[in-house]
Amino acid sequence: MSTMLGAVALAMFPGGLFVIAMGLAYEWADRKLVARLQNRLGPRWFQPVADTVKLLSKEEIVPDGVDARLVLGLPVIVLAGALTAALYVPMAGPPALSFPGDLIVTVTLLGLLTIGTGLAGTNTLNRFSLQGATRTLTLLFSYEAPFLLALLGPAVVAGSWEIGEIATRLGGRWVAISQPVGFALALVGLMGKLELPPFDAPEAETEIVAGALTEYSGRGLGLFRLAKSVELAVGLTLVAALYLGGIGSPVAHLVKTGGLLLVMATLQSLFARLRIDQVVGAWWRYGAVLALGQWLLLIAWARV
Amino acid sequence: MPERFVIPIGPQHPALKEPGHFEFTVDGETVTGASARLGYAHRGIEKATEARTWVQDLYLLERICGICSHVHATAYALGVERLAGVTAPPRAQAIRVLVGEMERVHSHLLWLGVAAHEAGFETLFMYSWRDRETIMDSLEALTGNRVNYSANLLGGVKFDVDTGQADAIRRGIDFLESRTRIYLDLVTTDEVFLRRTRGIGVMTAAQAETLGVVGPTARASGVARDIRVDAAYAAYPDFPVGITLEQTGDLAARFVVRVKELFESYRLIRTVLDGLPAGDLVAKMPRHVPEGETISRVEAPRGELFYFIRSGGRSRPDRVKVRTPTLCNMASVLTLTIGHQLADVPMILVGVDPCFSCNDRTVVIRDAATGQRWTWARLRQHGIEAYR
Repeated sequence: MSTMLGAVALAMFPGGLFVIAMGLAYEWADRKLVARLQNRLGPRWFQPVADTVKLLSKEEIVPDGVDARLVLGLPVIVLAGALTAALYVPMAGPPALSFPGDLIVTVTLLGLLTIGTGLAGTNTLNRFSLQGATRTLTLLFSYEAPFLLALLGPAVVAGSWEIGEIATRLGGRWVAISQPVGFALALVGLMGKLELPPFDAPEAETEIVAGALTEYSGRGLGLFRLAKSVELAVGLTLVAALYLGGIGSPVAHLVKTGGLLLVMATLQSLFARLRIDQVVGAWWRYGAVLALGQWLLLIAWARV
Repeated sequence: MPERFVIPIGPQHPALKEPGHFEFTVDGETVTGASARLGYAHRGIEKATEARTWVQDLYLLERICGICSHVHATAYALGVERLAGVTAPPRAQAIRVLVGEMERVHSHLLWLGVAAHEAGFETLFMYSWRDRETIMDSLEALTGNRVNYSANLLGGVKFDVDTGQADAIRRGIDFLESRTRIYLDLVTTDEVFLRRTRGIGVMTAAQAETLGVVGPTARASGVARDIRVDAAYAAYPDFPVGITLEQTGDLAARFVVRVKELFESYRLIRTVLDGLPAGDLVAKMPRHVPEGETISRVEAPRGELFYFIRSGGRSRPDRVKVRTPTLCNMASVLTLTIGHQLADVPMILVGVDPCFSCNDRTVVIRDAATGQRWTWARLRQHGIEAYR
């Protein structure tokens, strides 16, 4: 019986199909919001689904001079990582699976997308891809530490590194109010992770075409895009769960992540793209220092 | 890095709206070398003018550029009129200036959007292009076309401006002026945007002189060079233009110069509409233009546009030579990108407002020893081989 439930959890809810559908819905909402803010019409509701179906049905081209196994395998690994991460975050209720320390595992699984993209870029002879991969991995090193520190803020307050447990112990308290710096860093860090503007230097089309994924087409590209959409949904859920008083019901989930998405869409359309050196500089000079400062403050507070 | 890592940009690349090929040698993210190869959109228009009548050439030359079509026709018409000893009536000259300035507004707004797009600032791109539609609608209402307005005739202009049209243009200009204030505010105060433009691609006035840059690119470096002022043509003597100068010479200055020029154009459009001289629209032109040669210079939105026209006294020109501003500015791109980040390259390139297909030419240096000329067959063969 428990095996059956586990299988359902993996394939249907809250893993698998549900998270994919949710990811596509959030991708649409993000695109639509940004479009409206930019005075465009934006895509119709089924556009991400249509894009995915079309990409998945197309031929996947393996370019010359690459490791074919890696080219074909990476998209699957990346999507699997994002979907697995979904199991540990609260989906319209408590998380499907949990164990002490699953927060770290979730963040690591979310990092798989970036690492996978970087590997995909280095595994080609394409110069745009190589440049894009360098940028992707450079970015990874700059936002990952502040992002993780920001997510650990609520964990320290709650005294647990288990996502479900944190929410229970905080009891619906909005950590965003007591730790605004951490909240901002977590949200902006998520934008960096997803390579959204203004942190889209790794896929700056006017410089390096599509960055690390320039050589990808068809199924591979479709899966990468899908992984990114899923990560958008999971990341928003994670931030909402930790900072916005947990996710107790489907309505709370929708409202809280929707609000975060609106903020993210606004930030996306507000700025010009930052250069890679500016992003790294900003993260290490301000992001990391702020995160560490708050972190030390929290430790001091907890000790006293 | 022992091996040179070359990032090719073009002939097909998302940063380029027209084909051109650039190779940037990079060390990590820093550009250490740059080279360009132009000529992918060579259309042989100069040669084609020799096979068409004076009037047909007007329409052909207008199609050199899809953005600044009117100035091409104006330069050509002014040159041919000078050869024929005809002066277009004052009202026609004023309308030429009017359409020319409206075209400048449309070109600069278009550039603002493209430059914002290169900087990854899609929001500014979308808004500036939306606002550009206002002036496009005015141009369409006035001339019937959004581009290639065909406003010029040899000896005058084709259409008049009535009060209804003038009011519509004024309303559009009022709206655009309020919008342009926002853009000026943005390009001078938006901190994130300024981080991408301030101190990037700095060209000193001395460099600008050496590299021979023209137009807003030169004016952003403090070089006071504007044909509308230096050698006022058409109705510009009656409607003087204030020259817009910036001293810093970086990308931010190029943004500021172009946005400020928009205000100058708005002022000029209003002045022309208010003070439109009465009279005829067209003067009689002879069918055969007398023998002679002339140079005609006008200020296109991108800078000085240069026409050389030679007539052999026949119904078609002997030679029409066109030098577009992009050609003058292109050399600066290669010099300025060196030492900058790869991310700055598209912005520096777009900073000069390049228009590739306008500047593509074939030049053959004649061998002085043999004095041999290219035959049509040889030219054709060259064309086939060059684009293989």
